[in-house]
Amino acid sequence: MNRASLIFLGVFCALAFSWTGIVLINQLDYAAFTPQVDETEGKVFPEPIPGRVAQGRMVYQDLGCAQCHTQQVRRAGFGADIGAPDAGGRGWGVRQSVARDYLREPRVLLGQSRLGPDLRNLAARAPASGGTYDAAWHYLHLYDPALVTPGSIMPRHAFLFETREIVGQPSPKALVLPPAHAVAAGYEVVPTARAEALVAYLLSLKDTYAYPETNNIFTPEKPVEKPAEADPKKGEHP
Amino acid sequence: MVTDSSLSSALVPESATPAAQQAEVNAIDASTRGPVLLLAAAATVWLLVAAVLGLIAAWKLHTPGFLDACPLLTYGRVSPAQTNAFIYGWGFNAAFGIALWLMARLAQAELRGAGFLAAAVLFWNVGVAVGVGGILAGDSTSLEALEMPFYAAPVLFVAYAGIAAWAFVALRAGRATTLYVSQWYLLLALLAFPWLYSTAQIMLVVAPVRGTLQAVVAAWFASNLFLLCLAPVALAAIYYLLPKILGRPIRSYSLSRLGFWWFVFFASWTGVARLIGGPVPAWLQSAGIVASFMLLVPMVIFGINHYGSLSGGGGAVKSSATLRFLTVAIVAFTLTLLVWAANALQGVASLTQFTLFQAAHSQLGLYGFFSMAMFGAWYYIVPRLTGVAWPSNSLSCLHFWTSVLGLALMVVALALGGIGQGREIADAGVPFVEIGRHLRPYLLTASVGAVLLLIGQLAFAVNLVWSLVRGCPICAACHCAQLEVAAR
Repeated sequence: MNRASLIFLGVFCALAFSWTGIVLINQLDYAAFTPQVDETEGKVFPEPIPGRVAQGRMVYQDLGCAQCHTQQVRRAGFGADIGAPDAGGRGWGVRQSVARDYLREPRVLLGQSRLGPDLRNLAARAPASGGTYDAAWHYLHLYDPALVTPGSIMPRHAFLFETREIVGQPSPKALVLPPAHAVAAGYEVVPTARAEALVAYLLSLKDTYAYPETNNIFTPEKPVEKPAEADPKKGEHP
Repeated sequence: MVTDSSLSSALVPESATPAAQQAEVNAIDASTRGPVLLLAAAATVWLLVAAVLGLIAAWKLHTPGFLDACPLLTYGRVSPAQTNAFIYGWGFNAAFGIALWLMARLAQAELRGAGFLAAAVLFWNVGVAVGVGGILAGDSTSLEALEMPFYAAPVLFVAYAGIAAWAFVALRAGRATTLYVSQWYLLLALLAFPWLYSTAQIMLVVAPVRGTLQAVVAAWFASNLFLLCLAPVALAAIYYLLPKILGRPIRSYSLSRLGFWWFVFFASWTGVARLIGGPVPAWLQSAGIVASFMLLVPMVIFGINHYGSLSGGGGAVKSSATLRFLTVAIVAFTLTLLVWAANALQGVASLTQFTLFQAAHSQLGLYGFFSMAMFGAWYYIVPRLTGVAWPSNSLSCLHFWTSVLGLALMVVALALGGIGQGREIADAGVPFVEIGRHLRPYLLTASVGAVLLLIGQLAFAVNLVWSLVRGCPICAACHCAQLEVAAR
């Protein structure tokens, strides 16, 4: 069966060619990536992922959020990802996402579909209608997206919450629902542990650090200089 | 219908009379009967499962409140469950069945050890069931085309090894001394899957690679799963069945050789084109773009061969269910490759990336090309294995027309919706919530298309079960006995 061996060899070579070029060479490339040590801020970027945030990422993965949301800010020239809202952009990111942003993530979920907005910089943005993307906003949004974004096509994730009888004092974590959607008297809606982890993850999504490789495309805002604090030891008065 | 000039026996001149040739072909077909019909049945079951899941997912997009209380059916789980049931359940079962039948025929080898093969097939289906169930239960990996949890992978791997080994055994043991073009494509598909799957599982799930290299491997895997594992089986079926039914050889056999090698070398690089604009090396994006354009050459070669064969065969197309499905498949493949090249252009990509347009494109490829080619092949193969003709021509007619109409509705609606969506995403003046609202009519139309596809698939399933019952020797004997009793 010489012809079969020839075909076999040819197919093997073609697969090896693409595997080497796409997978192996880039594997060697990426092995050289290291986190960036920033002396001035005294931190390492990207920052290590706390346990609660890591759990939240697993909830994000298990519920399949990546089916509708991307996590990559495309470079300038591709749509309106970057750019402040008053400059014709959606303000989804202050700069494009670079490879090092994802260095610490155990599962990189860039996403393939934008039925919902990009989430990469969620914690560094504000809603167009005002307010902030804080924990309260996220809990309401997950419970019923229509509460905070009327007309949204995102489905409700009420199964991430528990409607339970108020025993003694109401829980501080209870959701503050508008009167039209309030639950029965004596009951409250509290997030489950999965919901809390997921919201912790969403609150951690921030890609604002200026890596050296982003120098020619991004200038971070200069931090506001604090006035020098009075030092009692030197006899200075505030 | 044109008389069967057995292509395989044309390669083996020492075969005796046409009658002897036909007997030989019948013996080969009879040996493949059990496993291939089992694969046909399994594939059809998964096709229906995927269709129901797909309908639920499509409905949730335009009516988010639909079944939203059940975490098992949340869109983020139902959608990958549908794609995995479709690809690994319907796609691979159908591909295995047709690959085994084609290999046995072309290698002129009788398939032995049907029991072992049937066990491997059952094992594969158990693996897919465990995987799809795992996705719905919440163990999804969230990696495109690889969402099945890691515990399903070894089952699939072992089952695959069993099935592929049988194809290779048939190749080695066969009497044929030359390889036909279909067999090259089958060899490609059989070799590509274990390589792709094991690389993806190891580098993404077992020992994940760093950072966005995961996205690169995932894109390479997802695209090659279609182009190098599923599409070649469809191409093999087309290259075999077109000449067989039309009674004349392929337009240009030497061109088909060029087409094969060009396709193999460049198709494997096209996957990374979809990472354009993303956090991956720029040279990789460019390589993907170049490869996407390189695929236009095999597209032209397939066109010359396939359209060339079809031209002048209008009458045969009208009378043969197989040819009708294969014609649609051929047109869909041309369109798929054209859109692939167009999508690689930066101007187009910045508009269509992340939109429903990509869903339309993958629907065109997976359903319009691959599934229609599989249907066409099953319409040819099943009667030759059961020994009875398809019981209902009206059901196969219904299947064809609902498939074409449903496909057209779905692809056009998603494509137009996707282009509109892309324009609005790029226009920061449009609030994001509005984009979802504007998509509703397109999503509703796509749901209607999905319903039509399901009707067609049900027609096919009914026809298949009817055919299997009629052709089943036990049922036939029982039926004869009943007639005898009634006649007394």
